[in-house]
Amino acid sequence: MSANFAYANPAYARPLRYEPSRDANGQHDPQQGAARSRPTRVEIVTTRAQRNARPKLAYSVVTIVSLFVIFAAQLLLSIVVSDGAYQLSGLQVQQKELLRTEQALLEQLQVLGSTQHLAANAAHLGMVPGSNPLYLDLATGAVSSAPGTADPLGCGGGCSMVANSLLNGVPLVDAASVAAQTAAVAPSSAQPAAVQAPAAQSVPSANPDVLPAPLTN
Amino acid sequence: MNTRRARLRISGMVLVVFFMVTVFVVRLVDIQIVRADELNAQSLEKRAQELVTYGVRGEIVDAHGAVLADSVERYDITVSPRASLARENAMGVIADGLARIAAVTQQNPDDLMAVILADPESDFEYLTQGVTLDTFRAVDALNIPWVYFELRNGRSYPNGEVAGNLVGFIGTDGPQAGVEYTEDACLASTDGVSVYEKGEDGVRIPGSEATTREPTNGGTLRLTIDRDLQWWVQQRMEQAAQQLGATWATAVVIRVSDGNLMAVTDYPTVDPNNVNDAAREALGSVAFTTPYEPGSTIKVLTAASLLDAGVVSQDSQIFAPYSVEFPGAGVISNAFYGPERLTLAGSLVESSNTATAGFSELLAPEARHDYLAGFGFGEYTEVGFNGESSGTLYPASEWDRRTNYTVQFGQGMTATSVQMASAYQTLANGGVRMPVTLVEGCEWPDGTVTEVPPTEGTRVVSEAAARQTVEMMEMVATSSGSAPNLQIPGYRVAVKSGTAEVAEAGGYADNKVVLSYAGMAPAEDPLYAVVVTAGVNDRVFSGRIASTFRDVMAQTLTTFRVPPSTTPSPNLPLTW
Repeated sequence: MSANFAYANPAYARPLRYEPSRDANGQHDPQQGAARSRPTRVEIVTTRAQRNARPKLAYSVVTIVSLFVIFAAQLLLSIVVSDGAYQLSGLQVQQKELLRTEQALLEQLQVLGSTQHLAANAAHLGMVPGSNPLYLDLATGAVSSAPGTADPLGCGGGCSMVANSLLNGVPLVDAASVAAQTAAVAPSSAQPAAVQAPAAQSVPSANPDVLPAPLTN
Repeated sequence: MNTRRARLRISGMVLVVFFMVTVFVVRLVDIQIVRADELNAQSLEKRAQELVTYGVRGEIVDAHGAVLADSVERYDITVSPRASLARENAMGVIADGLARIAAVTQQNPDDLMAVILADPESDFEYLTQGVTLDTFRAVDALNIPWVYFELRNGRSYPNGEVAGNLVGFIGTDGPQAGVEYTEDACLASTDGVSVYEKGEDGVRIPGSEATTREPTNGGTLRLTIDRDLQWWVQQRMEQAAQQLGATWATAVVIRVSDGNLMAVTDYPTVDPNNVNDAAREALGSVAFTTPYEPGSTIKVLTAASLLDAGVVSQDSQIFAPYSVEFPGAGVISNAFYGPERLTLAGSLVESSNTATAGFSELLAPEARHDYLAGFGFGEYTEVGFNGESSGTLYPASEWDRRTNYTVQFGQGMTATSVQMASAYQTLANGGVRMPVTLVEGCEWPDGTVTEVPPTEGTRVVSEAAARQTVEMMEMVATSSGSAPNLQIPGYRVAVKSGTAEVAEAGGYADNKVVLSYAGMAPAEDPLYAVVVTAGVNDRVFSGRIASTFRDVMAQTLTTFRVPPSTTPSPNLPLTW
């Protein structure tokens, strides 16, 4: 450590940094001249190289500012991430609720699509099951087999002997309301139906999107 | 003097500093190393929230994917009586709250009040259990602070009683019956656990989630059953059972080519959504679990065995009067007086016990036993249904002289309806018995399918013997007394009836019979075999369920769009 310092030799009595002050005229102050004659104290001074190597203010400013910038950035990032956490949490809750709704609706759909419900509705709309398989031979156009008695179970298809407790209180469809709903949902198909209605009362389906069913006896 | 004091002071300070540092180091080591785990755990406990993530139990679906059993979310509404009663003006607030809850859950508010007052110190009582999402949301919206909710996994069976006998149900202790029980390895899910740290307001601290265990969902269990056919047959059998006053009735529809069960119905049966209302005997599947002496439906199997052994032909002749005394076996008699000079075909049409017993003498008991065993009697089917019975077929060495004959017309042995269906499937399939299949497979979310059933068939009788037997069964459909009730226009049907006596302690009951009809269609190339059976506490004959068989068979042909027969039925000589 001591090697880093230069020693001013008192014997020379002329310290490196000690410049006698002069007055404006360049005359030596006699008082100071008198002081010079006294032995001066030993003083530690730095070399020029060391003076040049000394950190400059700019460096410290840059460092401190960057530190602040880093802290600020980290803080902002942290705020953004936490904000995202709330957003994520909110969306997850929403997703969970929507999944629950989907599940509940799916469950409802399955119950409404149960065989019992469909059969009961078909019977309610006046459909009856046939007793024999009928086969239309496309090559000859012949219908094989005989029609047999409709409704072999004798209850119009609505026997409801196979219980389903989930259907308790589930209403059957009402033909009139279904027709009204269909018309409301598909106004484009309702229009041609209205046009054709007076002319073709017996056409079973006036909906152009549906293949017309042949009239059978 | 001055320097000495200074030195002393410095030494003292150094000592103090050293002591302090030592204390801190010891403390630091203690906290950071010695008690680190414990402290970490403690602190995590304060922030950590453990969350059980539920796996979903797999669905049970029919052959076409229609859902027979599904997992659903249900909610329990619970209450803390202590918290509720601690409020100001408690009774008024509670009565008001309960009235609003009761309006949603359609309960009696007084009942709910009784729940709270039953144990005022309790922190947990159920107000109602297993409500649906709509109810839960409605009650949740009431914002009553002393009411809490719990999620629970429920099971829903959208088709009610349809295949309820096969699907089974889940009780409070897990799966109880049917494939819910036997195929639990496929359906069961495992719950997972995920841990995350939460802030003061309960929001998850970002990046803190650690899943300790992933939940796994169960697989989808696909049955071979056709839901709509099952429903139709179930309804028809219930109607028949009520008309007959039957105590039980079963029907089995089996696909001939692969032994897949298309419908297996039981009367009475259970609505898995509402198990409590079902009788105990209705909880399983009688068709699998309860064997009976099948009676005359076995005769066609005897005929096929004898034909395969080459000891008879379709027109083999026998003199078969109403009753015959067989040496050492006592008198065997028929149900009716009828023609006595019968061919083998005629013996089936007349369902003659004496003729069948007489023909049986042509083949050694061991060989006849092996044929019956080959048809699947005395063995569990490949289904392995919960509580399944193998029926009884004693070894030929244990047959007494009488059983030696009676076993060939289905007394002195027992079989389940499914075993009967399998035997008829064998005849219909040209003599090759296919493994009986109820479960088509277990489909996992990653697309793999496990529990794939066996498909290897075994030949029991020759193709010719099977074909000739089916031809003779056609004669039953065209020429027997019940023929008018067996016609399906356009289709050739092969069939055999059975009116079996029911064994009771020491003999046969006077007033109990098992009626059955079994057969296949179309007879020229059978695609489906059907067995209908009913246990009746009355002295009636099988003709009473001939039309039931016909309707079930007709519906089967309709459901699977079987093309009509194009060739006429054979006309075999029945008498000589």
